[in-house]
Amino acid sequence: MIAAALYLVRRSLVNATRHRVARLRQPKYLIGFVVGCLYVYWLVFRPQSGRAFGSAVTPAGDVWGVGVLAALVVFNWIFGRAETPFTFTLAETQYLFTAPLTRRQVIDFKLIRSQLALLVSAAVSALFLSRGLLGGLRLFHVVGLWLVYATLQLHYGGVALLRATLTQHGASGLRRQLVTVASLGTLVALGWWSLRPQLPGLVAAFARDPAEGYAAIAGAMHSGLLGVLLWPLEALLGPLRAPDAAAFAARLPTALLVGVANYVWVVRSALAFEEAAVEHAVKVARRVEALRQGRALGRPLRARKAHGLRLPRLPLAATGAPSAAILWKNVVAAMRDASPRTLILVGALIIGGSLVAGGGPTGGREVLATILLAVGGIALLFGPLAARFDLRQDLEMLDVLKSYPVRGRDIVRGEVAAPVVLLAGIVWICLAGGLLALAGRREADVLTTGDRFAILLALLSTTGAILAVLVLVQNAAVLLFPAWVTIGRNRAMGLEAAGQRILMTAGSLVALSVALLPAVILGGLVGAAVQAAGVDTAGTASAGAVAGSGVVVFEVALAVHLLGDVFDRLEPGALGGG
Amino acid sequence: MIEVQGLTKLYGTLEAVRDLSFRVAPGEVLGLVGPNGAGKTTTLRSIVGIVRPTTGTIRVGGHDVTRDPVAAKRLLAFMPDEPHLFDYLTVEEHLRFTARLYGVADVDRRLPALLQELELSEKARVLPGELSRGMKQKLVIACGLLHDPRALLLDEPLTGLDPAGIRRMKETIKERARQGAAVLLSSHLLHLVEEVCTRVLIVQAGRKVALGTIEEILVDRPDLRGRSLEEIFLALTGS
Repeated sequence: MIAAALYLVRRSLVNATRHRVARLRQPKYLIGFVVGCLYVYWLVFRPQSGRAFGSAVTPAGDVWGVGVLAALVVFNWIFGRAETPFTFTLAETQYLFTAPLTRRQVIDFKLIRSQLALLVSAAVSALFLSRGLLGGLRLFHVVGLWLVYATLQLHYGGVALLRATLTQHGASGLRRQLVTVASLGTLVALGWWSLRPQLPGLVAAFARDPAEGYAAIAGAMHSGLLGVLLWPLEALLGPLRAPDAAAFAARLPTALLVGVANYVWVVRSALAFEEAAVEHAVKVARRVEALRQGRALGRPLRARKAHGLRLPRLPLAATGAPSAAILWKNVVAAMRDASPRTLILVGALIIGGSLVAGGGPTGGREVLATILLAVGGIALLFGPLAARFDLRQDLEMLDVLKSYPVRGRDIVRGEVAAPVVLLAGIVWICLAGGLLALAGRREADVLTTGDRFAILLALLSTTGAILAVLVLVQNAAVLLFPAWVTIGRNRAMGLEAAGQRILMTAGSLVALSVALLPAVILGGLVGAAVQAAGVDTAGTASAGAVAGSGVVVFEVALAVHLLGDVFDRLEPGALGGG
Repeated sequence: MIEVQGLTKLYGTLEAVRDLSFRVAPGEVLGLVGPNGAGKTTTLRSIVGIVRPTTGTIRVGGHDVTRDPVAAKRLLAFMPDEPHLFDYLTVEEHLRFTARLYGVADVDRRLPALLQELELSEKARVLPGELSRGMKQKLVIACGLLHDPRALLLDEPLTGLDPAGIRRMKETIKERARQGAAVLLSSHLLHLVEEVCTRVLIVQAGRKVALGTIEEILVDRPDLRGRSLEEIFLALTGS
């Protein structure tokens, strides 16, 4: 069994590496790879200050390490799922569960196979946590992290199997939660009972010096009942926090003991987990497929199916411009992707947060305005990159789009319009809301209603124009360089993909600058002319912004026309998927 | 209705289709058969306008697919072997979206009957992710038939359909042909081709091997007389 697993790991690694190396013959991958390497070099090895990984050996590192580990474990006990003992792929379930293997052999196979990925994750984590200080990057950090990851994986598996066992024995969701919450509550209560007498001393130590406070907490964590409760976590983190090789060797056996205990727990679990694993494999496969088709991460549309009420019901007239139909399709997609609960939560947080932070009626308005303008700014600058419900997503359906009796320019127009319309809605609401909130300020009274209207007009037209250019640049990139851009949400991985994305972002910024230059020049000229005619500043800004936006609208219309021809010539074979 | 003249399609140096010419008249069902990689799907995709011919001309209802693609596509319906659907549009929304693109003004009147005919009424407000493979195929068929196309292009149309769906699909093909539509059907199911097609086009390695009714094909190969289409196909393609 071990030999078979190792064979699969070895051959998969060799074949994947060969494939990646072979495709470096193509310039798009080679250039991307070089840029990606340079980026990682800059990211990891640039000169930085700080103690990096070395801080892990301090009392603060001890407290934070154990705290984070405890939080992860508790979180998994409370929110973990019953159907996820291990993440088997569909291929694994097909080959392993039909093979004449015992359950333990299947678990061993899966564990062995996953170790390579965990080891790579540990190495990457150690590299980044070392902040490029090569002296701080030692082999035992990698091994220590790998032990932590592998043991956590086993523990999560054990928890999931326990949940599944409870489910099989008829325990309802609430009862399962009660069992875990009661167990955890007991442990937390015991810990609190152990810690409580020391609290005044800890608070006093923190008040004197945080370092002294951390040392006091670390001392409390190593003594009494709390010490017993936290011992497995301390033991597991021991090798990672070892200051030297001797300490690492001394701490390794206890860490391994914790890992082995979790392994025995998983292997001896009374549940036949195959059904759960198969079911989970199918779910994961569906989730991956959903991502490829452009749905939200791990959020199945099924849960939001309509029996009428929860799906958006935007009407679509039977006749009219085809571009409006494309726009409608993408707006529907965007609305389905956004969870109303999330939007309500974000809205409540913005309003509530501003009111609390403001601490009074006037202050609240200022904070609200600031937050609204900040949200609007983020939507303006990053929205066009994030909102991919346009050609970046729909080019996956190029066959279907090209079979419609619609000119390329109409399709491009509809595709580009969708993110622009939705993002402009968000940005404009934020702008209008922010300006309205500021309107109540006493100092703002110097502005007349006309001034406010002029400023709002300038901002609306400018932001609309910027959004149009930003979205158009993204869509132009995917049409002109389809092989260089990731299509859909199936994000390409690896250094070469990262390099390609960096190059595309840089190219987009250049294109944006070129597109905005004529608008800025003409807008400036118009503004100067208006000012020379004696119009006030607000009116001047408004006139310049509207003129500049007019130039952008013309440019966008021209570009859509040209890109439509590109779309008409584009063939599915040109799509490389990044 | 469908006229293909000297169609050649190259992918780099790969010759997917070479100098292919044929016509499909109104009311005719032409079966397009050939081994894997023969160029069947490339031919269909060229006619639909998904890929552009390297050389040659394609006309649908007199409209050149390259020069006047919108007019040509308006007369066409293409049903690919894999049902590609927008993941975030419901069944009904797919039909309304398609209707808008093809300018079907009376979609409200047509929709219930079409949904009923393809047994999709219960699924009208369901997203594709919740449909079975066969149901997705039915939705693609419904979208294709919505605008009463004058030319139908079908790529493996029976894939994923249940026995009742298969029977209905065959009836639909025949009925559309009776109503005057030109049908081009690509399939590996030779019994289907034998049952519903009036003529057969056999291609291999991108080239035409035979074209005509079974009788016409047998004129050149009298030794194959009395054999089934499957045996004729295997003999002609040397498979």
